[in-house]
Amino acid sequence: MRIVNPSFGEEAPGNEQVVANSVDWSKDPIILFSNSKPNAKELLEGLRDKMSAYRNTDNIDYTLKDSPAQPAAEGMYDELAGKYRAAILAIAD
Amino acid sequence: METAAETEILDLDEMDQAEWNEYAFEQGWGDGFPLVMPTEDLVEKFVATCHGDNEPLPAMSPRRVIPTLQAMAANAVMAGARPEYFPAILAAARAVLDPAYNLHGSLATTHSCAPMVLLNGPIREQLNVNCASNCFGQGRQANATIGRALQLILMNVGGAKPGVMDRSTQGTPAKYAFCFGENEEESPWEPFHVRQGYGAEDSVVTAIPSEAPHNINDHASTSGIGILTTIAGTISQPGANAIYCNAPVFLILGPEHAQTLHRDGWTIADMQADLFKRSALHISKVSKENQVSYEEMERPLVNDYYPMVPTPEDIHILVAGGPGKHSAYIPPFGFTAACSVRIAHV
Repeated sequence: MRIVNPSFGEEAPGNEQVVANSVDWSKDPIILFSNSKPNAKELLEGLRDKMSAYRNTDNIDYTLKDSPAQPAAEGMYDELAGKYRAAILAIAD
Repeated sequence: METAAETEILDLDEMDQAEWNEYAFEQGWGDGFPLVMPTEDLVEKFVATCHGDNEPLPAMSPRRVIPTLQAMAANAVMAGARPEYFPAILAAARAVLDPAYNLHGSLATTHSCAPMVLLNGPIREQLNVNCASNCFGQGRQANATIGRALQLILMNVGGAKPGVMDRSTQGTPAKYAFCFGENEEESPWEPFHVRQGYGAEDSVVTAIPSEAPHNINDHASTSGIGILTTIAGTISQPGANAIYCNAPVFLILGPEHAQTLHRDGWTIADMQADLFKRSALHISKVSKENQVSYEEMERPLVNDYYPMVPTPEDIHILVAGGPGKHSAYIPPFGFTAACSVRIAHV
């Protein structure tokens, strides 16, 4: 029998995946990105403190989006991608 | 058997209903209830009700694929809908795809929200939509399957699989189906869609991500102000997303409460103004930690009260249900809007 696939969807423009170059976690600039849920900042700052044991953390910065329930501001990801080599995300609770 | 998700038509071995359900559940297409087989001929009957509707659809979150009419119709078939329901289902899908609806956030959130689907206009009678007694409950094919079809579309096309991209901590029974009509005939005020700028003869679907209805029981109050006191107290709760997420709320008045309020001269605007003021939550009901969090979020605190909605107009009021002294409050997800779409092909 022939059925219509209920999970079919057409590829949306702009969904192409790109392969990033590898990251040197010992020295590359990193952005700590919070979804702005309570305690996300504390979690990320704790990670930075741990990393200070083996690397310089002057180029590890923190940022957050305006609301956990909304997308980041237009252009925010592109701007961060241009400035940092890696991101550590606090995306859930 | 062919299982490639990238293929719109799947050529499967013949199977009976039980085998089909097992197969569909294995594919992750189900909500736990039995599903109707979305055979090509059945799907075509649904799509035929929307021929000429060529308005492009945007990508559907969280999977970010563009839905096709066929795939959406397949989900409507699986939900047990009738072909004539499909224009309403398609309009509901368009409503949730409105950027103001915040579909990605509402599907990926840990909050227990689901798309509330409100129907207004002649389509309610044409499709036999329940707007009266037990309108949020079981028993009517249109309510059950229009709501279920939208949920299946979001799960299967959109990719909001429970525990995967749908990260709701506890979920809600509203995720099975949440569709009802306004009881326009027993409302003393203009129907909701007319107040949104549509014509009375337009058929309109309105969607908003929200929790399941919270009952408001008030048997004793015999005055409008008494009923509003009970409603304000129900809206005013510290555990609601509304307190820190800008969003409208819905108040669904039962016809008896509505008649009492109307008898006492309450207009929609009067009720919105009163409830905006009296539903604000006193700081004493909010934990110290949340007070700090709300301050960081720059949430307004007016004379030690947190408003539950941004403005009085964000309290949407309409009438649904049957006899009885009950109304309902429908809290929102947050950072969302009530998005309305006129139903074509009615």
